[in-house]
Amino acid sequence: MTTGQTATPEHFAASASGLQKTFGEGPAAVQALRGVDIDFRAGEFTAIMGPSGSGKSTLMHCLAGLDKPSAGKVFIDGIDLTSLKDKALTELRRDNVGFVFQAFNLLPSMSAEDNIMLPLSIAGRKPEDAWFDRVIDTIGLRDRLSHRPSELSGGQQQRVAAARALMSRPAIVFADEPTGNLDSNSSTEVLGFLKASVKDMGQTIVMVTHDPKAASYADRVVFLADGHIVDQMEAPTPDGILERMKHLEV
Amino acid sequence: MLKATLKSLMTHKLRLAMTALSIVLGVSFVAGTYVLSDTLNATFTNLFTDVYAGVDVNIRGAQEFESFEFDERPTLPESLLEEVRAVDGVLDAEGSVEGSAAFVDKDGEAIIPQGPPTIGFSWSGTGEEPTNPVKLREGGPPTSPTDVVMDANTAEEFDFEVGDQVGVIVEGPVREFTVSGIVGFGDADNLAGATLAVFELETAQELFDKVGVLDTIDVIAEDGVTQGELQDRIVAAIGTEYDVSTGTQITNETTDQIQEGLGFFSIALLVFAAIALFVGSFIIANTFSIIVAQRTRELALLRAIGASRRQVMSSILIEATITGLVASAIGVGVGILVAIGLQNLLAAFDVDLPTGSLVIGPKAIVIPMVVGTLVTVIASISPARRATKVPPVAAMREGFTVPVTAGRRRLIAGTIALILGIAVLLLGLFGGGDDAASLVGLGAFLIFIGVAAMAPVIAGPLARGIGSPFARYLKIPGRLARDNSVRNPKRTSSTAAALMIGVALVGFITIFASSIKASQTELIEGTTNFDLIVQGQGFEGFPAAVEDAANEIPEIGAAAGFRSGPSRIEGQTVGIQGVDVGAAAEVLNFDMVAGSLAAAEDDGLLVSEPEAEAQGWTVGDTIEMHFQASPPREEEIKGIYERNPLAGNYIMALPDFQDAYTEQNIQLLLIQTSDGLSPSVARAAVEAGLEGFPSVEIEDQEEFLESSAAAVDQLLGLVTALLGLALIIAFIGIVNTLALSIFERTREIGLLRAIGMSRGQVRRMIRWEAVIVAILGAVLGLVIGAFFGWAMIMALADEGISVLEIPYLTLISYVIIAGIAGVGAAVFPARRASKVDVLRAVTVE
Ligand SMILES: Nc1ncnc2c1ncn2[C@@H]1O[C@H](COP(=O)(O)OP(=O)(O)OP(=O)(O)O)[C@@H](O)[C@H]1O
Ligand SMILES: [Mg+2]
Repeated sequence: MTTGQTATPEHFAASASGLQKTFGEGPAAVQALRGVDIDFRAGEFTAIMGPSGSGKSTLMHCLAGLDKPSAGKVFIDGIDLTSLKDKALTELRRDNVGFVFQAFNLLPSMSAEDNIMLPLSIAGRKPEDAWFDRVIDTIGLRDRLSHRPSELSGGQQQRVAAARALMSRPAIVFADEPTGNLDSNSSTEVLGFLKASVKDMGQTIVMVTHDPKAASYADRVVFLADGHIVDQMEAPTPDGILERMKHLEV
Repeated sequence: MLKATLKSLMTHKLRLAMTALSIVLGVSFVAGTYVLSDTLNATFTNLFTDVYAGVDVNIRGAQEFESFEFDERPTLPESLLEEVRAVDGVLDAEGSVEGSAAFVDKDGEAIIPQGPPTIGFSWSGTGEEPTNPVKLREGGPPTSPTDVVMDANTAEEFDFEVGDQVGVIVEGPVREFTVSGIVGFGDADNLAGATLAVFELETAQELFDKVGVLDTIDVIAEDGVTQGELQDRIVAAIGTEYDVSTGTQITNETTDQIQEGLGFFSIALLVFAAIALFVGSFIIANTFSIIVAQRTRELALLRAIGASRRQVMSSILIEATITGLVASAIGVGVGILVAIGLQNLLAAFDVDLPTGSLVIGPKAIVIPMVVGTLVTVIASISPARRATKVPPVAAMREGFTVPVTAGRRRLIAGTIALILGIAVLLLGLFGGGDDAASLVGLGAFLIFIGVAAMAPVIAGPLARGIGSPFARYLKIPGRLARDNSVRNPKRTSSTAAALMIGVALVGFITIFASSIKASQTELIEGTTNFDLIVQGQGFEGFPAAVEDAANEIPEIGAAAGFRSGPSRIEGQTVGIQGVDVGAAAEVLNFDMVAGSLAAAEDDGLLVSEPEAEAQGWTVGDTIEMHFQASPPREEEIKGIYERNPLAGNYIMALPDFQDAYTEQNIQLLLIQTSDGLSPSVARAAVEAGLEGFPSVEIEDQEEFLESSAAAVDQLLGLVTALLGLALIIAFIGIVNTLALSIFERTREIGLLRAIGMSRGQVRRMIRWEAVIVAILGAVLGLVIGAFFGWAMIMALADEGISVLEIPYLTLISYVIIAGIAGVGAAVFPARRASKVDVLRAVTVE
């Protein structure tokens, strides 16, 4: 533990320091992250915003253990990801991290319920009934559990994906544009669910979005530009976010 | 459009290679068969052209009729030789006789090749260059009654040199000779594996019981007299009673016979090649379906920018044609290697063939090329038609899939093909007739097509059933494997169908073989009464002297030697057995339907019930029998017996048989030992009594059944090995389908990896899917194979194969082996799947 740091990583659901990510080599190299320091407190709902290509997805992938950073450290639940081998990293993703992607979150051949249970099945664990009921009630799709993804609407599919992400009680859930493909009604469904899971179940969520309205559901908004964190905003409102973004995107 | 096709081919080299592999293998088998049979044809043709090069005219006794298995001719009087020599234009004429003569090696064991005969004949002429087809390598011709000339192969293999003593078995016990010379058959070391023993003419006449007669006369023309002219002059001089042929005619006759024999051999191999290609066509159809499915968006885009349906269809067909051509060309190349491999494989099963430099005729290149390309194109027609159904809008929609053709139509078409196939198969099996084999083949083909067409409908539930233990006991990988195998029943079923064909045939052969063995045991135990059986080692049987010697042994109750020969009755060639009826009645259980056995002791004929029924004969009827080498006879039917496998359909009284046939070799000698003797004592006595005949083997009933079973097993092994190619192709199909569908499921696998599935779990998921598909194919195949086996046994009940024995354990082991092979097939696809980049699932394209 370096003395220069203000807080130890153990206090946070996830944290990153000096995070850099470079794609490619030589003159064609792209620096997607240029030194990012960020912490996510347990039970906090964080939105990440920024122009296209600013490195939001790359940051999420590095934080979630889906990609290896070129430099810097990432901690999840106090575990240093950069030192983990593939096997341990896979297990960490399985047990400590939840995901909601923009699209293709569900296995088409399985029912909604089986999809929700997938991380537990992979781990060979049994679900806790009470937790299962609570999650299912929160997403409000109890009557749709036996349906295949193709029989659900886009919003319902994303709620199922969110339920799956919560099922294993991960330390943190990453959602990369979870409402990117949805209309405003469906977006509201999904965002409402995410918010509720933070409020009622104490879940930690990090969400990337381009939509100021979606970001306003979060407790805090982090602005990213050109691989740097350029601004932060607590208790955001859609108008406040829009205002801030105008300044950033010049 | 062509450019787009070529580009698509080049960008998917791996896919191309895997598709091509199934064609390459099938085509190489076809090409290999042609190369092998052309090579053998050329080898034999050269050999005989060379061998008969010195003979201008050949004279033999005229045959009453020809028979593929037997070739007996009347002898020529020795006096004919002088008549021929006196004909104007004859430079020289030499007579010779032939018979069967086996050498005895230095350990006292008879030298009898498996299959090829032991040929003995006389040295024709007096010089170093005989008119018969041998060429001296060392030593000289036989010049005394104790001289024998030996073929180079036997000399080398059994270590004989000129001047060595060697035993020879002809009619009686072993006789001692001196090797006076070593010869080749033309330029070959021997005649296709046969051993050659050459004697002085008088010695040979005495040995083969042909004193004063000759089998053939070879004539050499004076300079300036053509073969045709000399033939005409000789016929004018000696009449038309004899067969007078020119050297060219006799060469052609011999090579034609060999080509006919090789024809059967190459047809048999081509059947296996056709099976392999048929299996391969499933793989091709499957690959192209997957390719079309994966290229849906690309094809839609082409349609959206103005490509017509025809252009889309032809782009797929062109891809198929190019793939087919390239693969077939490689296949022909590999085929030449296969030809060498087949030679070795057959040699491993004791089918020795002469070696010569490979002959690669145009047939060996053109036919496999055309067949391979056609199979590929035909197999891709249905996927190509599906491709034309991709609407342009699919380019805009994520996850559009071409609707699978109506299940109902497939089901109906499949059912029709299946029913038709069963009907044709049964017609072929029970209707008999000349084209029974083709009908059976066509029926089997239709059944496979029918089941394959219906398979998508049944594959879903079946795969679910087979997969359920996997889903239950093998955790999430098993569960996902089951789901994946059920997800696309058409793909699963056509992958499994390829395996189904091979397994059905192997299963059928296995059931057939064990039924034959069981039937044999039952029949031998039920219809015979012998203690010991004496057999020769080759196909020629052994001298009748063995029977006489056996009858001298005091410990023997009865000894019945069965001779056999062909006869033409009512225009059909049938096999006749000649045996001492009194002794036969002791060693076989005859159930007489009419007449009596004893009545045929001195003369007359006994006929089996089914044959008598078919011909409408009753006891007392007289029938006309024709023979190859003796005048026709009228024989009275003295009795009719219930079918008995060892007795065959016709038994002729021994004295009559001895009159009608010159060849009296015994095929089977059945011995009943005296009552009250212990088997070991009796056997020791018989062995001692027959000690002078090293060419025979003595077995008791149990050993006989065992060795018959071993012969059946050997054939089973050969057929299974030949079907191995079809099985290998089927497993390549599993590899191919899995690899392609993994490509399709990249995002899904990435998602699973992202949410925590380990590489090992991914590998297991793919592995279990392969196992489920393999077991599905094996189970379907065994059901069909069992049906084939049942139908075959029903059809052959009249031929004595009446016991349907299903070797359950062996068949179950096939399913297990298929499952294990499935694990093997999954290795490469599973590795690919476990290396899928996790981020591929997450990033939206
Ligand atoms: N696999 C890759 N190889 C090369 N460059 C990449 C790769 N992935 C991302 N990049 C580059 O890194 C930079 C950041 O990409 P990233 O996907 O993180 O942006 P983003 O902020 O998520 O954008 P968007 O809002 O469009 O999703 C971009 O310039 C992108 O081109
Ligand atoms: Mg992004």
